[in-house]
Amino acid sequence: MSRFSKTLIALLVAGAATSAMAFDRYQGIGRPATTAEVKAWDIDVRPDFVGLPKGSGNVDRGIELWETHCASCHGVFGESNEVFTPIVGGTTLKDIETGRVEALVTGSSPQRTTLMKVPTVSTLFDYIQRAMPWTAPKSLSPDDVYAILAYLLNLGEIVPADYVLSDENIREVQERMPNRNGMTTDHGMWPGASAAKGGIGNGGKPDVKNVACMKDCKKEVEIVSALPDYAQDAHGNLAEQNRPVGQTRGKQTGAPSEPAGDGKQSAAAATLALANEKGCMACHGVANKIIGPGYNEIAQKYQGQADAEAKLIAKVKNGGQGTWGAIPMPPQGHVADEDIKRLVEWILEGAKAQ
Amino acid sequence: MASPMRIRAAAKDGVTEVRVLMSHVMETGQRKDSSGAVIPAHFITELTAKHNDKVVLSAEFGPSVSTNPYLAFKFNGGAKGDKVAVTWVDNKGETRTDEVQVA
Repeated sequence: MSRFSKTLIALLVAGAATSAMAFDRYQGIGRPATTAEVKAWDIDVRPDFVGLPKGSGNVDRGIELWETHCASCHGVFGESNEVFTPIVGGTTLKDIETGRVEALVTGSSPQRTTLMKVPTVSTLFDYIQRAMPWTAPKSLSPDDVYAILAYLLNLGEIVPADYVLSDENIREVQERMPNRNGMTTDHGMWPGASAAKGGIGNGGKPDVKNVACMKDCKKEVEIVSALPDYAQDAHGNLAEQNRPVGQTRGKQTGAPSEPAGDGKQSAAAATLALANEKGCMACHGVANKIIGPGYNEIAQKYQGQADAEAKLIAKVKNGGQGTWGAIPMPPQGHVADEDIKRLVEWILEGAKAQ
Repeated sequence: MASPMRIRAAAKDGVTEVRVLMSHVMETGQRKDSSGAVIPAHFITELTAKHNDKVVLSAEFGPSVSTNPYLAFKFNGGAKGDKVAVTWVDNKGETRTDEVQVA
């Protein structure tokens, strides 16, 4: 390899390093966009008409284009409410004078149409050029967009039927937009300083005033669904009205439980909750047979037997079959011994809910 | 005085399609305003469409028709330059006629 080509390679490497400077963080990924690429993406038309392409179109041409590309969704007169909300309607000649759509204040129009809401004509141009027709966005030439926009503005009685809309007179149209004075920027969603200080926002002041909690705050947010006390008895005991199997279970409701003055009652309730939690209630009812026997039946059967407790604890733990029929009780190894003991004691005492 | 109707009439293969957007409050007479008073009924009762001077459509409207009704219909015949006129009459006796040329 000659000395010359070595120098060339060194130069190439140095050049590549320089142009990749902006991409330091992601080496070897991507490249700067070319001017042509940026231009192709830079299609926005701003309220001050920066970015507006040159061109013109009249209302009649707009009708033609509208019927071909737009009417199937928006209706012949931009009135259709089937695919999207209507574009035209709800504005009056008085609105065009005042620049504030009265129907937005009084609510007299059955629906808010595009022409009622949009304050800037540039937004309509931008949107049509950028996104329409739905099936072939960006397929319309600037002249087509001017024509379609002229037709829409004519439907809204903003421009006469013989109007030729162009980049030169679109500013005049802006002065006739029905809701041109309907936009406020004095809230936190807009960037920059307040209008008084030359910006368009309010200096970033948020619209809501939620004061951060500084003391005695909850450490963790717990999301629960709760039934208020007054509604506890609205539909009886929900637990009895839902299947005891599956994901959805009814909550034990009824008259709000007495405040825990009696330790025994609340212990019983806690055991019932434990039975629910461990899945016992899927097969056993408190007062009825479901798949396995009801607790009342068990308590009755073992009444007065001294070894009943030990026997039942073993049955729960290791499973059993035969005492109540062919369907087996599966072993409940996942339930702690002390929980099993608590449950069995509770069953033998009559499985009280309270 | 009610706002003008928007009418579009287009002839193709010997059939003319007419589309009309009327501007009318179409108040049913069953709604109440914010103070609870009944808003008086005000709706179109009759609609007539003429091709030149011949009636091609005659319709009876009622309170169940929406605000600013849209109507589309076709009739046989009609050529470019013919006149299509649509007239409505409402329950207060108001009437409006608008005319277009077939395109």
